[in-house]
Amino acid sequence: MTEKLNLVARELAKLGLTAVYPREWRRSVVLEGEVDTWQQYIAAGYAAAGKGYKGVVNAIKVRGLEQSREYLPPAQGGALEGKDYDVVIIGGGVIGCAVARDLTRWDLRVALLEKEDDVAKQTSSRNNGMIHPGIAASSGSKKLAYNIRGNRMYTQAAEELGFELVRCGSVVMLGKSMYQLALPYVRYKALQKGVDGLIPLSRRQVARREPNATSLQRGGIFLPSTGVVAPYKVTVAYAENAVENGAAVHLNTAALGFAMEQGRIIGVRTNQGLIRAGAVVNAAGVWADKIAAYADDHFFTIHGRKGTIAIIDKALGATQKSVLALPRLGVKSYTKGGGLNPTVEGNLLMGPTAIEVSQREDWSTTPEEMEFLFSRHLSLNRQLRPRDTITYFAGVRACTFEEDFIIEPSEHVPNLIHAVGIQSPGLASAPAIAQDVAAMAVEILKTTREVKPNPTFNPERRLTPQLAKLSLEERGEAIKKNPAYGQIVCRCEAISAGEIIDAIHSPVPATSLDAVKRRARAGMGRCQGGFCTPAILEILARETGKAASEINKGRPGSQLLAGETKTGGGTRT
Amino acid sequence: MEKMLVCIQCPQGCKLTVSHSGEGVSVTGNKCPRGASYAQQELINPCRTLTTTVRTAFVDFPLLPVRTLGEIPLKSVFGAMGEISRLVVKKRLRPGDVVLEKLYNTDVALIATDDMTMGEKYAKGSEDYGRDGILS
Amino acid sequence: MSGAKWDVAVIGAGPAGLAAAIAANKAGARVCLVERESRPGGILKQCIHDGFGLVRFGQKLSGPEYAWRDIQLAKERGIKLFTDTFLLELEAREEGFVLTLQNSEQAVFQIVTRALVAATGCRERSARQVFIHGQRPAGVYTAGTVQRLINIGGHLPGKNCVILGSGDIGLIMARRLTLEGAKVQGVYEIKAEPSGLTRNIVQCLEDYNIPLHLGATVTKVHGSERVEAVTISQVDENLRALPGTEEYVPCDTLVLSVGLIPENDMLLPLGVQIDPRTGGPAVDQLMATGQAGLYSCGNALHVNDLVDYVSESGEIAGSSAARFSLGKPDRPCHLPVIPQGDIQYVVPQKLDIAAGGQAVLYFRSARTIANASLEISAGGQVLLQKKYKAVRPPEMERIVLDLALLPPGTEELSLNLRG
Ligand SMILES: Cc1cc2nc3c(=O)[nH]c(=O)nc-3n(C[C@H](O)[C@H](O)[C@H](O)COP(=O)(O)OP(=O)(O)OC[C@H]3O[C@@H](n4cnc5c(N)ncnc54)[C@H](O)[C@@H]3O)c2cc1C
Ligand SMILES: Cc1cc2nc3c(=O)[nH]c(=O)nc-3n(C[C@H](O)[C@H](O)[C@H](O)COP(=O)(O)OP(=O)(O)OC[C@H]3O[C@@H](n4cnc5c(N)ncnc54)[C@H](O)[C@@H]3O)c2cc1C
Repeated sequence: MTEKLNLVARELAKLGLTAVYPREWRRSVVLEGEVDTWQQYIAAGYAAAGKGYKGVVNAIKVRGLEQSREYLPPAQGGALEGKDYDVVIIGGGVIGCAVARDLTRWDLRVALLEKEDDVAKQTSSRNNGMIHPGIAASSGSKKLAYNIRGNRMYTQAAEELGFELVRCGSVVMLGKSMYQLALPYVRYKALQKGVDGLIPLSRRQVARREPNATSLQRGGIFLPSTGVVAPYKVTVAYAENAVENGAAVHLNTAALGFAMEQGRIIGVRTNQGLIRAGAVVNAAGVWADKIAAYADDHFFTIHGRKGTIAIIDKALGATQKSVLALPRLGVKSYTKGGGLNPTVEGNLLMGPTAIEVSQREDWSTTPEEMEFLFSRHLSLNRQLRPRDTITYFAGVRACTFEEDFIIEPSEHVPNLIHAVGIQSPGLASAPAIAQDVAAMAVEILKTTREVKPNPTFNPERRLTPQLAKLSLEERGEAIKKNPAYGQIVCRCEAISAGEIIDAIHSPVPATSLDAVKRRARAGMGRCQGGFCTPAILEILARETGKAASEINKGRPGSQLLAGETKTGGGTRT
Repeated sequence: MEKMLVCIQCPQGCKLTVSHSGEGVSVTGNKCPRGASYAQQELINPCRTLTTTVRTAFVDFPLLPVRTLGEIPLKSVFGAMGEISRLVVKKRLRPGDVVLEKLYNTDVALIATDDMTMGEKYAKGSEDYGRDGILS
Repeated sequence: MSGAKWDVAVIGAGPAGLAAAIAANKAGARVCLVERESRPGGILKQCIHDGFGLVRFGQKLSGPEYAWRDIQLAKERGIKLFTDTFLLELEAREEGFVLTLQNSEQAVFQIVTRALVAATGCRERSARQVFIHGQRPAGVYTAGTVQRLINIGGHLPGKNCVILGSGDIGLIMARRLTLEGAKVQGVYEIKAEPSGLTRNIVQCLEDYNIPLHLGATVTKVHGSERVEAVTISQVDENLRALPGTEEYVPCDTLVLSVGLIPENDMLLPLGVQIDPRTGGPAVDQLMATGQAGLYSCGNALHVNDLVDYVSESGEIAGSSAARFSLGKPDRPCHLPVIPQGDIQYVVPQKLDIAAGGQAVLYFRSARTIANASLEISAGGQVLLQKKYKAVRPPEMERIVLDLALLPPGTEELSLNLRG
């Protein structure tokens, strides 16, 4: 047994996990055997981490535990059989979409496969939307490097792609005795990490900046580079610009395996046939280890860490300008503690929590987690009450046991690139990750052919009017050109029929109620669609030429209606 | 024999006690005469007003709200719904206009309760509250 | 952009707004009505069931019929109506209120009005606000959405439904769904007594053998694409789910009838004081809010169970607004109305004693009480007493007070309800 493996075995023994057997495979460590609980499974994975291996593969079985279910699109067919692309990207989250868009800078045939009915359906729409300043990532990690770079790149991305970025800054408050002790250290760390523009604040300065901040604070720091975005809008923006520049986005299309020849991938098997691929990018989020396994390159395991977030009514949005957090001692740093952050739409988000879960696509919320959120974060802003919550949701982070991003060409499959383990701050890092992954793909292709820039690449996304962003004069002009902008459908968010129609006919068309929501925000306000759902339904049916009863909330099978009334039999007179 | 009923003639919801002795029926607990007749009818043959909608031939007004002009036996309600589901209104009706003279073997008419001349898309910003004149 | 000038503008053309506009017009004011939907009538357009208008017209009308009577009146009186028109901005200025509006035909335009009546109705509490957990499948609707889908769109939202909450709209939709061919498994109410009217329990549930389960609530929604089932739990006296009582009820639709919230978003920028008990602005008996020239009525003021009283409050607001606008405003002299004992809330929250005459007081009890007695007193003196056989929170009570009864120097008025 090697020294490293011994270390792992000893740690496992310390945990009393006697039925877990570690072994080495390539440059990684593989755990096998059986345990009784999911907690033990997780503990074993962490016991093997940090021992100098490339990755931890946790293949331990948990007695009586159901394997994580995975959603696969129900449709089967051959619609994509024989299609041939230079690069196929698996996963339409923010990473996959940003990679697709960066690849269209080159004269390449690019396709993105997403098994869900829309892009940004999984983690990329289920997060806080924060562009972190980088202070929380540990020194020397990929997370840190990509976060700092990604944060700086967001300004340009927002301009080119026309999504909203608000550099609201964050106030990290320090509780009681921590202040005196921690501040010099925090400053030193921030400097060393390259965090931009830290400003120390006294208790009174915090209070002046954020008058509603908790009275527990004893001063803190201000990080001006922190920003917020609507993460689904960022993802959609990347996808749309990719399509405008020639990429193909195939929704409801799952990668189910690879066709390999002499260790290279030659095609991706999907529920719509075999797609030929020159290079493949694995950006499959919580399922990235499964994709790696298809190529016999399974050197890491992903486990899910669920986070629940509550949305606070816009009416309270003005009570706080920046992100507010009060880190507590003795809390595992990877949870980052969470806090309260503004959104670009003017709400506040509270959370997230962090709980290891065995089901990777379980986005359900529980009363316990809501209560935890209330007890933990509500008091950060003294104006908030539990009843100010308009809704809540959960996302699942795709974590490796080493807790860092893996962004690299495969060591064993020459035309496969991994962009995996992209947990928080993955959104903040996306522009930088995409830049590197696209460059890696181009390098791979260059080994077999010439790769030229795309002469018609336009980094600027075509924008349709967003009424909320227009002055009254511009709004009036827009309505005169297209009266559909004059008709408000979603009253809480003041979204017009015209904006909904635009979303339905956008480069990555919205064909479901939720897809309309993600693009146009209709139905996302206080009444949560109570008033506008019937109207959006009619518009969707009319614009897509379908019957109302065929319109889905999201995935196939999520029909909003059971049918029509007056089916009491017989013919109509 | 005694029976407890809640009067549904108005939102007051009087709690009625109906005593059935020999030939006579006596009702107590009602605050108005409608309660007494309701209780008596309820014992013999419960009757209800039926409200529902009828399909129309107009895209701007696809469904017309209707109600029975008077009550029909509760037991006929589903039969009436079946008959109503086969109707299509082809004229623009207004509240009170008769949709069907005799609904489902009763003598009760089915009447329109909304104004189809106020189509969904009528003149905005004008004093016109709807297109007048019944189209066909 | 400054546009047409009006004496009174009414926002919302539901029954409250229509009544306000008609009353203001009768009082001689130039009135316009602003409505964001394409037809006037408000929520009554979709309330096709009958039972409206007993107090006001002595008839059991359906919602659209009730609204139609006022719409006809408004039309005859030539009251200007903007439909499909959305209020973008509201500002209080020296010359009055400036409303920035938009619609498809006039694009963006402004009107200026001396007095403003907010008759914006209410919205429904959503699933997340009652903290139902689980995934988010299709098939979870509020009762009002179901009502609109069925009655206006002709769509059947589901075939096998569970209804949460025993509010009137939920009860009415239980019957409506049944009539259109859906199966309603039952109505579940967390409290120990139903929150809807007894007559609706009889004619909507009992007539169709739909069970009503009290002290039970939905704690989880199952299904990832479409609702497949709900978990029902019994609750303890603190309304907390009792572990071990879970029941799995298969269904494809969950309909929520869990309460209405007055809609007053447009007033927030004006800094109008909202009464936390009603969710609407605090007003006096003339329906005047604290902001000069601004009036509130209908369900935006507080959630009513009878539309007749909605119209009544609209009439009061409309004629008060006209009086203000036409330059005859009496200088208000306010004294607070204090709810005591088992009173949940009372509207108005204050009285303008300078106005004189009679004041209509609306109140709700906080709990069901048999043989309750109400006492209205001021300055240690009992002005009015009334006995009730029973008072129930779902049933609003109305009482008229002659302000001449108030002893001189009164500083506050109290309403006390006791069992
Ligand atoms: C609660 C929470 C809060 C967070 N807050 C922040 C934050 O504030 N700031 C920040 O920077 N980061 C945050 N994160 C992290 C951030 O959300 C993620 O890092 C980021 O969204 C990851 O993007 P992705 O594209 O890798 O993954 P995803 O968005 O999950 O995309 C992967 C996609 O691949 C698809 N897919 C999987 N398998 C297949 C297959 N076989 N075939 C086809 N498609 C497939 C999936 O359907 C999915 O759409 C948060 C995460 C959580 C859970
Ligand atoms: C879903 C639902 C079902 C109901 N069912 C019943 C029932 O069966 N029986 C019963 O007695 N009561 C029912 N009610 C209560 C009912 O609302 C009242 O009885 C009555 O209709 C209230 O009248 P209103 O004029 O105050 O409000 P509404 O009828 O709601 O009218 C308000 C109007 O204002 C408009 N509006 C709001 N904001 C703006 C704005 N910013 N700009 C322009 N226009 C605006 C709205 O579009 C609407 O037309 C129901 C309420 C709801 C929400």
